[in-house]
Amino acid sequence: MRVLVLNNAAPFIRGGAEELADQLVARLNAISGVEAELLRIPLRSEPAEGLIEQILLNQSLRLYQVDRVVALKFPAYLIPHPNKVLWLLHQFRQAYDLYEAGNSYLCEHPSGARIVQLVRNADRKCFLKCRAIYTNSPVTQRRLLKFNGISSTVLYPPLLDPERFRGGQYGSYVFAGGRVGAGKRQHLLVEAMRMVKSDIRLVVAGPLDDDEYGRKLRGVIDQYGLSSRVELKFGFHGRDEIARLVNGALACVYIPIDEDSMGYVTMEAFCAAKAVLTVKDAGGVLELVRDGATGMVAEPDPNSIAIGLDRLADLSAAREMGLAARALLEGKSLSWKYTIERLLDD
Amino acid sequence: MKIVIASSFVPFVHGGGRFIVDWLELKLREHGHQVERFFLPFIDRPEDLFDQILAFRLIDVSSACDRLIAIRPPAHVLPHPNKVLWFIHHIRSLYDLWDSPYRFVPDNPSGRAFRSALIDLDTRTILEAQRVFTNSQVVATRLQHFNGIAAKPLYPPILAPERFRHDRYGEEIVVICRIEPHKRQSLLVEAMRYVKTPVKLRLCGTSMGSVHLDEIAATIAKYGMQSKVIFENRWISEEEKVERLAPALAVAYLPQDEDSYGYCSLEAGHAQKCVLTTNDSGGVLELVKDGVNGLIVPPDPLALAEAMDQLFVDRALTARMGEANRRRITEMAIDWTTVVDSLTS
Repeated sequence: MRVLVLNNAAPFIRGGAEELADQLVARLNAISGVEAELLRIPLRSEPAEGLIEQILLNQSLRLYQVDRVVALKFPAYLIPHPNKVLWLLHQFRQAYDLYEAGNSYLCEHPSGARIVQLVRNADRKCFLKCRAIYTNSPVTQRRLLKFNGISSTVLYPPLLDPERFRGGQYGSYVFAGGRVGAGKRQHLLVEAMRMVKSDIRLVVAGPLDDDEYGRKLRGVIDQYGLSSRVELKFGFHGRDEIARLVNGALACVYIPIDEDSMGYVTMEAFCAAKAVLTVKDAGGVLELVRDGATGMVAEPDPNSIAIGLDRLADLSAAREMGLAARALLEGKSLSWKYTIERLLDD
Repeated sequence: MKIVIASSFVPFVHGGGRFIVDWLELKLREHGHQVERFFLPFIDRPEDLFDQILAFRLIDVSSACDRLIAIRPPAHVLPHPNKVLWFIHHIRSLYDLWDSPYRFVPDNPSGRAFRSALIDLDTRTILEAQRVFTNSQVVATRLQHFNGIAAKPLYPPILAPERFRHDRYGEEIVVICRIEPHKRQSLLVEAMRYVKTPVKLRLCGTSMGSVHLDEIAATIAKYGMQSKVIFENRWISEEEKVERLAPALAVAYLPQDEDSYGYCSLEAGHAQKCVLTTNDSGGVLELVKDGVNGLIVPPDPLALAEAMDQLFVDRALTARMGEANRRRITEMAIDWTTVVDSLTS
């Protein structure tokens, strides 16, 4: 079976969607009887009038000798094909939720309303012809239903490199990975360490959103003499280094503010059989973390977080919840095997 | 410099048209450029030829890069103020193959209008380019003839030529390329019926269809040539290629009126082997000079058989021609520095 993965591409820019597309192609090619390739169509979303051309050009391209198309993004998914499966990462948000919220560049544009209509019409026509429609998260799913009246099935993107997160010793530290910034609330963790009674340590590692936040965290550590208990590793870390920190941790912590997704940080921890401490208003993370079963769900305040961390300091509890976390992840169908089976379903 | 390379492809079809792009991307990066490469889908069918070309025309990377290098048609229609073409062929069924079975529109007023619309469109969009290079003199001549545009050949090198080596001049004439009717491996097999020396023929490669394969297998079986024609009908890895060429007597490559000399002729040169070809092989004749770095004969089994015997018997000449073929590549400046300098200057 020849599977062509379609994605758009802003020249010279790479992000999560590009990583996902590459990984999908690689995983497809690993299946015997499947040959996969990636087709990237250059996207230029400005000026706004150009969107009309973008739609037209994608509709005018032709694909031959392709058995199945897996399309990820606008406007590449408009390329006609009789056997197209959509795995929608997000719509062209400027014409949907951002437009409704008054945050789109199309709001100010004299022809904005007509361009929005054009995008939505082209989308609808395309969606109705798709063989199946999957979305990457409940948020994308809700938007698709709300704006296009199209129902879809959520198919979460699996970890790109689960092979790295095989787990290991349950060490003496809890690990907080991911970006470091006010939206991720690492300051609550550092403050919680003042109240933790057990002798666990906290390791924070990730790129800083802004230097000011970094100074704030260091300030708290200095003020309360926490330097032996909290380690800050700001900056970009390679995947192997991140995996090493996760695999050797007692448990992991992740307390973002109302996040859309479950978060790769949570999935990495679960994959490595580590329990995750989170908080009640963390959003999508709560789809995975169940209090006392696969981790701890605390109130978003240092005191409550400290109590949760102390419970995780009990090695057998941490291990038991970690193993349950891994089992939950597997049951949640977050594997590439499951994902690809869905995308290639008849 | 920020460079976008644009070319067309047919998904899941691999061949020389992809290598030239992938290798150029690598080499531009090695020379310190930022490169983004796009393969865009295209298939030359009359039903939607112009729709697809329109799509290419609407792809606008002009604000994203300092230079656009366009390679396989219709990538040359992409707009860019600083566009350079490395033009590797026309949509040939509407150009030089018009008077052939490959023509896909009728030769009537409507078909001719279709053809001239394409030629006109090509001419206008090619003229937008700052510079036009081709992969061969054959293609440059066609550009002059059909579009009235002067272009300079910029010969495509192979990647990492230093991996090829020469061990000895053995008894095999080797052919490593796709096994297709227009590559005429069957003609070589036919010729093997008439050789008088113990020369052997080795055919390596895969095929899109089965007709040519069946024909070859049938000829081998019919004349009991299993011991002197070695038929490896499979994908040959780059490492295997080196091993097949190192002990070879010579390389044969006799495509029917091909645009360029073909990577296999270059591989022959880097492995210090001469090339046996035919006088109707097109671009191959830009590289191969008769009696200098190869032999050129009519596309006829008897003539080919005689040439194969000569290569086998006159080893001294075969060796001299093999060495000359290596030098020929340098003489023609077939190297990546020349390519990168030309396309980025």
